[in-house]
Amino acid sequence: MNYTTTSAEQTQKIAADLAKTLKGGEFISLIGDLGAGKTTFTRGLVEALGGTVRVKSPTFTVMNEYPVNAGNIKRVVHIDFYRFTDPAELEALSLEDERRPDTIILAEWPDALPTVTWKSDIEIYFKHLGDDKREILI
Amino acid sequence: MRILAIETSCDETAIAILTGEGDNLKLEKSVVRSQIDLHETYGGVVPEVAAREHLQLMMPLLHRDVAHNGEGIDTIAVTAGPGLAPALRVGVETAKALAWAWQKPLVPVCHLEGHIYAPWLSGQAPEFPALALVVSGGHTELVLMTDHGKFERLGETLDDAAGEAFDKVAKMLGLGYPGGPKVAQLAIDGDAKAFDFPRAMLDSDNFVFSFAGLKTSVLYTLRKHEDQLNEYKFRADIAASFQEAVVDVLVQKTMKAVEKVKPASVILAGGVAANVALRDRLKQTCEQMEVPLFVPEFQYSMDNAAMIAVAGYYRALNGHTVEPAELQVNPNLDIV
Ligand SMILES: Nc1ncnc2c1ncn2[C@@H]1O[C@H](COP(=O)(O)OP(=O)(O)OP(=O)(O)O)[C@@H](O)[C@H]1O
Ligand SMILES: [Mg+2]
Repeated sequence: MNYTTTSAEQTQKIAADLAKTLKGGEFISLIGDLGAGKTTFTRGLVEALGGTVRVKSPTFTVMNEYPVNAGNIKRVVHIDFYRFTDPAELEALSLEDERRPDTIILAEWPDALPTVTWKSDIEIYFKHLGDDKREILI
Repeated sequence: MRILAIETSCDETAIAILTGEGDNLKLEKSVVRSQIDLHETYGGVVPEVAAREHLQLMMPLLHRDVAHNGEGIDTIAVTAGPGLAPALRVGVETAKALAWAWQKPLVPVCHLEGHIYAPWLSGQAPEFPALALVVSGGHTELVLMTDHGKFERLGETLDDAAGEAFDKVAKMLGLGYPGGPKVAQLAIDGDAKAFDFPRAMLDSDNFVFSFAGLKTSVLYTLRKHEDQLNEYKFRADIAASFQEAVVDVLVQKTMKAVEKVKPASVILAGGVAANVALRDRLKQTCEQMEVPLFVPEFQYSMDNAAMIAVAGYYRALNGHTVEPAELQVNPNLDIV
């Protein structure tokens, strides 16, 4: 699906719509430039899944975890590979251990790593179209 | 009390030994091994997930500076969070094992609390209540410290931290990592009024911050002036105007908090405390408001274990020790 959004709220609404279709256990890649709205999108998704903790940028923390409550989905793991330079660093996160039926994993900047060791179920592309306008491709 | 402190929450592997007697503190040793030194090839970007590096460095550091049998150490302090779990675990498990083997009290410390204690390392002792502005790559918060070990968060960032905004703007300008110092350097030659970037949340009555909008606004401006991207003056103007916006928000919010809670002192803490524009403006404003400002020495504003030792010392005095078997890392540890 291809969406055009003109505000952060609208982007979060698109995320909320996606949230309804999730079954649990999905890996989601968020691909797009600085400030394209990857974190904003995640905030919308976590809120739609009943999360009450504010989603913040995981760039420096690398990995944030949010409790949510939507059927069997109880947890969102939010990762940011922005500061990664070596695939070995990805290993240290033991992501396969985090992949559980009660968990959704979202990753910003999966494309920061030269070799792909990250396999996603859903890929979302964000594109700047000038000012607050963004194209989102799911 | 002679205290051994261990810090592995971020990119730095650090240990320190400090002796405290009442309010007299004597730092005997503080060693910081930056993973950035070790891995020039990484271009200086090493996320804290490099727990393995902490593992490699920890024993050699201890071996060199600490007696094998723990002789002369009365207490062990360790950063228990916030940070990334695998990195934190290296320090915490080491501290647990030492406390258990040596039968010494173990004190978990919050990394942010450590930052706030940095001025004490220079022989200063801010009076309570102290208002602390903690700014780093991962944090932007206003914290009220009413006594040793007693903290209350007044507000924090809703999205990006101030240091993160500096790094990302550096990236947009094609400057290297870490970006904060490079943006600050470039800003010296720029006009801070050239671009009117947004100052988010300034009108709100609370103490929350937001820097994602500023990051995005800088990006839009760069896109609009793509043809000037290679002009030094233009880039310096962007850097200066951006920095001005960050400093405006940080200082004005802090002053609003000063008006409201009327602290006896203000502390500037965290890695961004090294930013000269921020220091200068905060100093000026605090002078006007007649409240003393405490800024840590550079080496103590960056991550280190000496600050963890001070925080751990006061925690230990107040009996905040734990059983080694019970201590777990807490990646989301809150300051309280
Ligand atoms: N249509 C839109 N969709 C999403 N965000 C928007 C939109 N219009 C404006 N914004 C603003 O753009 C900014 C997006 O920042 P955000 O941190 O979400 O981006 P990001 O892709 O995560 O960036 P980074 O690569 O730095 O992590 C926010 O300040 C948001 O309010
Ligand atoms: Mg983001």
